[in-house]
Amino acid sequence: MSKNDDSRLPPGTHFMMGNFALAEGAVAAGCKFVSGYPITPASEIVNRLSVLLPPLGGGFLQTEDEISAVCSAIGASWTGVKSMTATSGPGISLMQENIGFAVATETPLVIVDVQRLGPSTGVPSAGLAGDVVQVARGSHGDYQIIALAPGSPQDMYDMTIRAFNLAETYRVPVFVMPDAFIAHMREQVVIPDQSDIHLVSRKITAQGTDPMTRQDFHDPNVAPMPVFGRGFKSHVTSSCHDEHGMRNLSDPTTMHNYIMKPIEKIISHRDDIIEVDEDYQNGDMILVAYGSVARSVKEAAIRAREGGLKVGTLRLKTLWPFADKEIEAAARAASGMVVLENNTGQMFPYIKAEAAAYCKVNFMGPKILGQIHDPEDILSFLKEINA
Amino acid sequence: MSVTEHPLRKYTRPHVKKTTTCPGCGNGIIAQAILRSIEELGLSMDDFVFVSGIGCSAWIPSPLFAADTLHTTHGRPVAFATGVKLGRPESHVMVASGDGDLTAIGGNHLIHAARRNIDLTVVLVNNGIYGMTGGQTAPTTPRGLTTITSPYGSMEHALNISEMITAAGAPYVARWTTYHPRQLTRSIKKGIRKKGFALIEAVSQCPVQYGRVSKIGKAVDILKFFKKNSIRIDKASRMSEEALEGKIIIGEFADKEKVELSSQWLELSKQMMQEEGESCHVKS
Amino acid sequence: MSGITIFRNTCKGVEDCGICIYVCPKDVFEPSEEMNELGYVPPSVAREDECTVCLNCMISCPDMAIVVEKEAVKEKK
Repeated sequence: MSKNDDSRLPPGTHFMMGNFALAEGAVAAGCKFVSGYPITPASEIVNRLSVLLPPLGGGFLQTEDEISAVCSAIGASWTGVKSMTATSGPGISLMQENIGFAVATETPLVIVDVQRLGPSTGVPSAGLAGDVVQVARGSHGDYQIIALAPGSPQDMYDMTIRAFNLAETYRVPVFVMPDAFIAHMREQVVIPDQSDIHLVSRKITAQGTDPMTRQDFHDPNVAPMPVFGRGFKSHVTSSCHDEHGMRNLSDPTTMHNYIMKPIEKIISHRDDIIEVDEDYQNGDMILVAYGSVARSVKEAAIRAREGGLKVGTLRLKTLWPFADKEIEAAARAASGMVVLENNTGQMFPYIKAEAAAYCKVNFMGPKILGQIHDPEDILSFLKEINA
Repeated sequence: MSVTEHPLRKYTRPHVKKTTTCPGCGNGIIAQAILRSIEELGLSMDDFVFVSGIGCSAWIPSPLFAADTLHTTHGRPVAFATGVKLGRPESHVMVASGDGDLTAIGGNHLIHAARRNIDLTVVLVNNGIYGMTGGQTAPTTPRGLTTITSPYGSMEHALNISEMITAAGAPYVARWTTYHPRQLTRSIKKGIRKKGFALIEAVSQCPVQYGRVSKIGKAVDILKFFKKNSIRIDKASRMSEEALEGKIIIGEFADKEKVELSSQWLELSKQMMQEEGESCHVKS
Repeated sequence: MSGITIFRNTCKGVEDCGICIYVCPKDVFEPSEEMNELGYVPPSVAREDECTVCLNCMISCPDMAIVVEKEAVKEKK
């Protein structure tokens, strides 16, 4: 397959780079608008989509900066189009204000963050799970988003489709968060028949409804979206607004609902959203990881068990909303817990807060930040803490 | 026969009985000019999506206009509007916002929208000040004026917006003042009809903030200032720089045809879909 | 009945606005004698006979508080 080939890949087994698999997944999901600004290590995604989208009736906009990328993706989403933007950590930092806009206006959107080593310009082609908290807490105010953590090129394909489905179902920005390693590694990817792929599109407002009385926002079970261009006379504002979308800065209940209803919308459906892979038994030392580190952890657990250690794993496939129940269940079963991340401990405080009442929780970063854990180093660590 | 409402009220949301503008603010004159242009073109409010940013002028379409309105974050309406237009090319997409919003924080988006020639109509209300936040210096505040953030007199030079956007390649650029509402309406109509990026810079009075710092006076005094100091572009082109000091050059800066972005995308898609023989939409 | 209608409670008054008075070429308006419900003093139609139906006031009112009906004004003349 040449990178300039403008056809989607046919169903079957392929060998490809994570970023390319993500692009194929976006197209399979029905994405029709992508905006982006070049940034290592995400550029291959927009490069590839700029070629793939036009034959499918879609469009690609290379914007003047990342702020314009997220804004134009939100604008396109409001016309009823499945939209996406792709960037890395520095781009997410720039996009934060308008990520908040997407949350507050309940805009379906997929944002890809191919994480790289920061802070600041850092190392563009080294992976680091540097943004796992930023995507959930980086915009001002209180809110909930959804974030998925792919750990392989196959995940890049599958989780991107899931991301679009979640964005459309819950009218919320959904982050797909590989690191540079997952983005640039090449592995087997199985592409199914399009007819076997389940896709979701947003509910749209019924025709003939009154903008002053219909509910466009603040429904924990997700209000139909009054997309533009169909005569709905929608009022969409970044200001605090009521369930009709009209600005209201004086009613305390409206202010409370403006924050809480979109949060309830996500948290009340957390069982449908959160995905984990559990491979542990009672009394295990449970290794909690996500993304590329979960690959090392899987190997380390195999070797540990071969060596007679009682070791289990818990892989977080969704980072947000936070898998509190799943962590608690693991902590209750565990003899101890180790959180392994390729950073200085970003999910660790949240996991420890949930688990520490039930077992001791340790943190293990890689020996060298920007490189994922060597399974042998994990085994040494387990010996150190007397696993 | 008694009149129960202004003829343009049919284009406004019924529950928005009053605007929140200060007495004498130019925003309402521009709002009328926009609604009149839509009426005179025989278009419907449902043919439009209105996008605005943050600032007093961004309240021109939102919540007043009975249409799809998108009230965005500060400086970004042009970026959002670009996405709206590319997502739904058949809609007329109009941005109405102020000089601080569109040329300070939003300057980059404005320049690139003009450069890439995306079919938007941008009504830029230029009142020379940051009104909503209490009267801070704007990129358009004349040098020397004392504002709440330039208490020793502004030391920066003011931006010539229409010239800048003309240089960026926009196919339609016009500047008028609120003393010229009919010309404003004509230019807004031309901008809507133009298949490409159109900027209509509406120099407008902010009697409360700008009137105070400039010491020009109230709304009517500022309109008198506009009348006295407006010079048509053809006449201005024959005048010296000194003679034009402090003057407002009005008229059309650009009016040409230039191939537009969203129509090129539609053309490319059509061509490629015919070549591929695939159906328009991915099966969902 | 006047061909010029002023929506008194929409008007923001002649003291700080008064744009209608300024743009009228025929001196049709005067400040009215009573404030509206918000404390603004709207204009009143003092010399409707002078009105040439130029529509300057209607077009320039920032609050859409004035309507001039061509036929009603002409009828009165």
